[in-house]
Amino acid sequence: MSGVLLWVVCPKGNAAAASLLGLGGGKLGRQQRPGRVRVAAMSSAVANPVARTSEERVYEVVLKQAALVREQRKEREKAAGTDGLSNWDLLNEAYDRCGEVCAEYAKTFYLGTLLMTPERRRAVWAIYVWCRRTDELVDGPNASHITPKALDRWEQRLNDLFEGRPYDMYDAALAHTVSKYPVDIQPFKDMIEGMRLDLKKSRYKNFDELYLYCYYVAGTVGLMSVPVMGIAPESKASTESVYNAALALGIANQLTNILRDVGEDARRGRIYLPQDELVQAGLSDEDIFRGQVTDKWRSFMKDQIKRARMFFDEAEKGVVELNAASRWPVWASLLLYKQILDAIEANDYNNFTRRAYVGKTKKLVSLPIAYGRALVGPTSTKVAELTRI
Amino acid sequence: MTVFSLYSQISSPLSSSKLDPPKALVLFASSNGRTPLRLGFSRTAPPFRVSCSSSSSSDDPSGDNLRSNFCIIEGPETVQDFMQMQLQEIQDNIRSRRNKIFLLMEEVRRLRVQQRIKSAEGIDAFGEVDSNEMPDIPSSIPFLPHMTQKTLKQLYFTSLSFIAGIIIFGGLVAPTLELKLGLGGTSYEDFIHNMHLPVQLSQVDPIVASFSGGAVGVISALMLIEANNVDQQGKKRCKYCHGTGYLACARCSASGECLSVDPIVTDATDGPLRVPTTQRCPNCSGAGKVMCPTCLCTGMLMASEHDPRIDPFD
Repeated sequence: MSGVLLWVVCPKGNAAAASLLGLGGGKLGRQQRPGRVRVAAMSSAVANPVARTSEERVYEVVLKQAALVREQRKEREKAAGTDGLSNWDLLNEAYDRCGEVCAEYAKTFYLGTLLMTPERRRAVWAIYVWCRRTDELVDGPNASHITPKALDRWEQRLNDLFEGRPYDMYDAALAHTVSKYPVDIQPFKDMIEGMRLDLKKSRYKNFDELYLYCYYVAGTVGLMSVPVMGIAPESKASTESVYNAALALGIANQLTNILRDVGEDARRGRIYLPQDELVQAGLSDEDIFRGQVTDKWRSFMKDQIKRARMFFDEAEKGVVELNAASRWPVWASLLLYKQILDAIEANDYNNFTRRAYVGKTKKLVSLPIAYGRALVGPTSTKVAELTRI
Repeated sequence: MTVFSLYSQISSPLSSSKLDPPKALVLFASSNGRTPLRLGFSRTAPPFRVSCSSSSSSDDPSGDNLRSNFCIIEGPETVQDFMQMQLQEIQDNIRSRRNKIFLLMEEVRRLRVQQRIKSAEGIDAFGEVDSNEMPDIPSSIPFLPHMTQKTLKQLYFTSLSFIAGIIIFGGLVAPTLELKLGLGGTSYEDFIHNMHLPVQLSQVDPIVASFSGGAVGVISALMLIEANNVDQQGKKRCKYCHGTGYLACARCSASGECLSVDPIVTDATDGPLRVPTTQRCPNCSGAGKVMCPTCLCTGMLMASEHDPRIDPFD
């Protein structure tokens, strides 16, 4: 968890920015007709989801988000409560502190946020700080004192701040952010749920479980940030597809993080790779703990990297649907994080002892490339209809 | 209640240290087993449940009965947790907890002694150094690594030998070289002239010159060291609360008071319905600040998973 969450809250490779940026585009692995899934989603909202895969459950959340965005547009004017927000100096100071924390713990990500508009930048910082504080509850110095009750109370504070009653100054910054942008509470709650999960688990049986975990810690960040980044007004793509792509980017970032930090996580006794796929490749936990690169390991890593790249491709389809001002930072972070996969390959798949690192030059070169790709706007109606299978 | 009063009676002799330590430990151990302070908690249990809205009923994994009602995260109602205690009770609670802290520290010390004995006997493959409790002394001089007693001795030796060397050079070697070999010997005036500096500089009295040079060196060195020290102290501070341990309360915007939220009582007159009254802010109980959950009010940046000392790659 430590290494994996590292990117979410402390992304050296701009991961949180990447996942923070919603991408539009196609669907994930399972191809289903939207209508059928919607009906299925509504009926299964009542029924108990026993046999459904994680991907389906997560997709349901995505649909709900998209629907809520449409609802919230009608209720935008509801007063968000001004108890903690009447003092603008304090609010500005809170936002500045959020920026300081972000700059301290995630330098590349902070630099990425500088590419955004000032309002969005502050909102992203506030979200980042909340996510980081939540992560530190289970990963930080006081993790030993954290009980399920503590997480419940943290969730209660989250509920309060969404109703306009923030508890401390960082909550106040987030409360102001959610009052200005149509951010929903569900991804935040899911992230806390992910923390609860991480208190219990250190092995993942199959990709389905791993997918759910990646959703909890990284996909949620993508969903949180789409309302902040904003969808381009001229975009013809459906809201669901944009959220889906944001989700895909979050998953891709998390998988990249996992693949980069295999050695580091193993040293802490955690393996974030699906057990059944390891067995299929003829590997075991001991092989990972031993930390030797064999041909079996190389072929296993090749498949994993291929899957991560597939998620990146899904995500790319949606970046173009974002607001013009947000496309550049999103592309930048996407390209930067994707390069980490290249770095793993360049290290001969040795993620046990060598850290896949993207050099400063490469990072700087990615910026103008990202700018170029950001100039491409939303797809035309025809293409959008074709991709929306 | 009887258990509790017994406990408070125990705590007073302990604070005057009439009992010798092993017995005190035994008493504490047994009283821990009975969890006497639970009585104090159980009377305030309802506020816990109201504010918690906990969905999970699982007990905490630490297995410490005394702590099972305590939650590390603050919420809007947590300061009320001890509201039903009387003042004397609160003071007794504080005193008994202080005693416990003192005794626990002593236990830790003794456990450490055992740990050192045992690890000296056994072969530790990893050879991990327990560096979490007492961090290394960071150096005040920029660019120097961590200091210990040994490196301090090295520092003394190096500095003194430098000073001796410079004194010997300036007092013996340079004049000898000039006299015997004719090396050097540029007078101050010639030097100033060669450097094309204003002629007045050459009129400076040598004592003043050397004093000024020495003073400038010392003062700038002290300045750099202090700047580095402040920098390092800053690094040790919790970034969220800037070392204060507290964050501004959002409900009262750090003032301590907020508007009264009692419902309007309509009266017959048509005058203003409500005079704005302020009440003590319930979030922070009037303090204007709330606990920083990252550093738990210590204000320090404790060693964490992302600490560079244990992060192998950075």
